[in-house]
Amino acid sequence: MKLPRFASLTQLISEMKAQEKHEFDKVHDQMRSLYHELSVLSKKSTNTAINKFKLKFVNSILGQSNQFLKEKYKPFKDFSLFDADEMPSNSDVALILGQYLKCMEKFRIDNTKSDSLDWR
Amino acid sequence: MAIVRPRLNDYYNVPLRQENLDFPIPFLDEDIPLYVDPFLLWKSPSLQDNALHTIIVSSFNHLGKLFAKGEETEAIKTLILLTECDEVGLGNSGVRKGKKIGEKTAGEILSLFKNIPRISQDGFHHFEEIQLLIDNVSKDRISDIACSIIKSWLIDFTIQSCDKFGIPIQKTDISLYDFKKQQIVSESVTLPLNPDNKSPLLLTPKRWLRYVPWINYDDYFDSYYIKDVEDAFEQKRTRIAILEYNRHNYDLISRYIETKEHAAKSCTTDPLFSQIPVLSAKRKLKTILGIPTGKTDNADKKYEDNMVPVLASMLYPHLDFAQAQSRVESGSQIRDLIFYNNRDIDPLKDIYDLYDARQIVIELKNVKEVEREHINQLNRYLTEQFGKFGILFTRNPAPSHIYKNTIDLWAGQRRCILILDDSDLAMMADVYETKQRLPIEVINKKYIEFIRSCPS
Repeated sequence: MKLPRFASLTQLISEMKAQEKHEFDKVHDQMRSLYHELSVLSKKSTNTAINKFKLKFVNSILGQSNQFLKEKYKPFKDFSLFDADEMPSNSDVALILGQYLKCMEKFRIDNTKSDSLDWR
Repeated sequence: MAIVRPRLNDYYNVPLRQENLDFPIPFLDEDIPLYVDPFLLWKSPSLQDNALHTIIVSSFNHLGKLFAKGEETEAIKTLILLTECDEVGLGNSGVRKGKKIGEKTAGEILSLFKNIPRISQDGFHHFEEIQLLIDNVSKDRISDIACSIIKSWLIDFTIQSCDKFGIPIQKTDISLYDFKKQQIVSESVTLPLNPDNKSPLLLTPKRWLRYVPWINYDDYFDSYYIKDVEDAFEQKRTRIAILEYNRHNYDLISRYIETKEHAAKSCTTDPLFSQIPVLSAKRKLKTILGIPTGKTDNADKKYEDNMVPVLASMLYPHLDFAQAQSRVESGSQIRDLIFYNNRDIDPLKDIYDLYDARQIVIELKNVKEVEREHINQLNRYLTEQFGKFGILFTRNPAPSHIYKNTIDLWAGQRRCILILDDSDLAMMADVYETKQRLPIEVINKKYIEFIRSCPS
C-alpha cells in the first residue's frame, strides 16, 4: 500500500479498509470456487478422502477466512482447519466450506452500509 | 524378539523397502521362489549382461569340450560343483540348501557334446536347452549353474549393494568359478553372512529373475512340440521319450530356440510381489462385506482368505507382506497377517520407535462384536513375538467398553492395539481405487484417533 508521506489518519484508515475489503473479496471468491469444486466432487464420490494437495489449499483459504471472521463469525468454535491425518472426505470439506460461505456473507452484510451496499 | 520369515536386513535392523531395491532381499531360512533366467541376460540392452551371458555359455561349452576331449572326470567334477549355488538363495528350498546333481546326470549332460554333432561343433547358444534334452534338469538347476559361473560378478554386486544400504559384511571363504583358469577356486571375500549358520549370502539383480526360464520344457511341450511332432506319431509320448526324440532331432530344438529368440520382446522380469488390480480389490471388498459374521458355512475362513490378498496389496509397498499364519489359542484358531515394517513413512517410524514394532501383526476376527478376550489374545501374542503394536481387523466398530479397554492397555502398559472394521476396509479400498490418499493412511488415521483418546 503506497501512501503519501504525510497522509492523514483518515486517509490511512480508508486505505487499510480498501485493502482489507480487497483481500476479503479475494478470499470469498476463492472460497466460493472451492465450494463449487468440492460440491461436484462430493456428489460424485461422497466418502472419498480428499487428497493432500487439495486439502493444503482448502486449509490456506480457511486460515485466511478465520482471520476475518474471528470467533464472532466463525461457523464452529472448535473448528479452524482440517487435519490431513484425519483424512476428511469430499463431503466433509464441502459441508464446512458451505458453512464458511454463509458466515462470510453474514460478516459482509454486517459490515456493509445499508444505503449504498458499500463497505463501512 | 523373534522375526517371522526373517530377511537379511531385518536381522541387521536396516530398514529397506523392497520396491526401491534392485535386488530381492534374501530370506535367512528359505529360498526366494524366483530363478535367474540366462535368457534375460541375453536379451538385456546392457552390454555387461550380454557379456555375462557369453561367459556363462562359453564356460559351459568349455566343460563340454573338456569332456569331448577325454577329460571326462575333470569336466564332470566341475559341472557337479556348478549345479548348486546356495549363496543366492533362489528356488524353492525351505532351508536354503540344495542338492547337487549326481555323476550320472552330469555325464548325460556333457555327453550331449559328444552325441549331438551340432552341439559338438558349435556348442550351445542358450544352455537352458539342456532342459529339453536331459531328464532331471529343471529351472532351479539352470539358475544355479548360471549363478555359479558368474559368482565372481555377483560377489562384487553384493559388496556394492551392502555398502550402499549399510548391510554389514564380514570376511569369509567362498568357492567360485574362475573364468580365466576355467576351474573352481576358493577365495577370501567380504560378504553378508547368514547369522544362523555364518554362510555367505549373495544378492542377485531383480532384472534377471523369472518364475520360470523363458526356454523351458513345459513351454516347449505346450506350445511347440505337440503341434509339430505329436500329431505325426498319433500317440502320446512320455517325457523321457520326448527328451530322447529331441536328442535325435536337434533341429527341432534349434527351431524352437529361434522362435523364442524372435519372441524375446515378450520375455520380461517377474515381479517379487504383484498387487491385485483395483477391480479385483473392489470385487473382494464386496465379497468380504457380504460374508456373514461367525463361523457358519466357513464364513471365518472365507473372510480370512479374502482379506489376505486385499490387505497385502493395499498396504504394499509401505508394508511388505511377510506371511499369513495360523495359530491356536485357547482352543480357537486365529489367523494373522505379518508385515515387515519398512519404516519409510512417518507413522511407521513412530510405531517402530515407540512400540518396537519391527513387524506388524494384523489379526483377523470375523465376529459380530469384538470381546475383551480377543484383545487379550492379541495382547498376549504381542508380548511373545512382536513389539507392542498390533491391529485387530474385525467386522463392526468396537463397543465403547472394548475401545476403553484398549486405551487402558495403552495407559497401563504402553501397548497399542488398533481396532479396524469394515468401514475402514471400505475406506482403504476407496483410496486404493481413487489414489487420492494411501490405504496405509487409514491405519495412521485410526492411530491418531486412538492416541488422541488416550490420557495425556
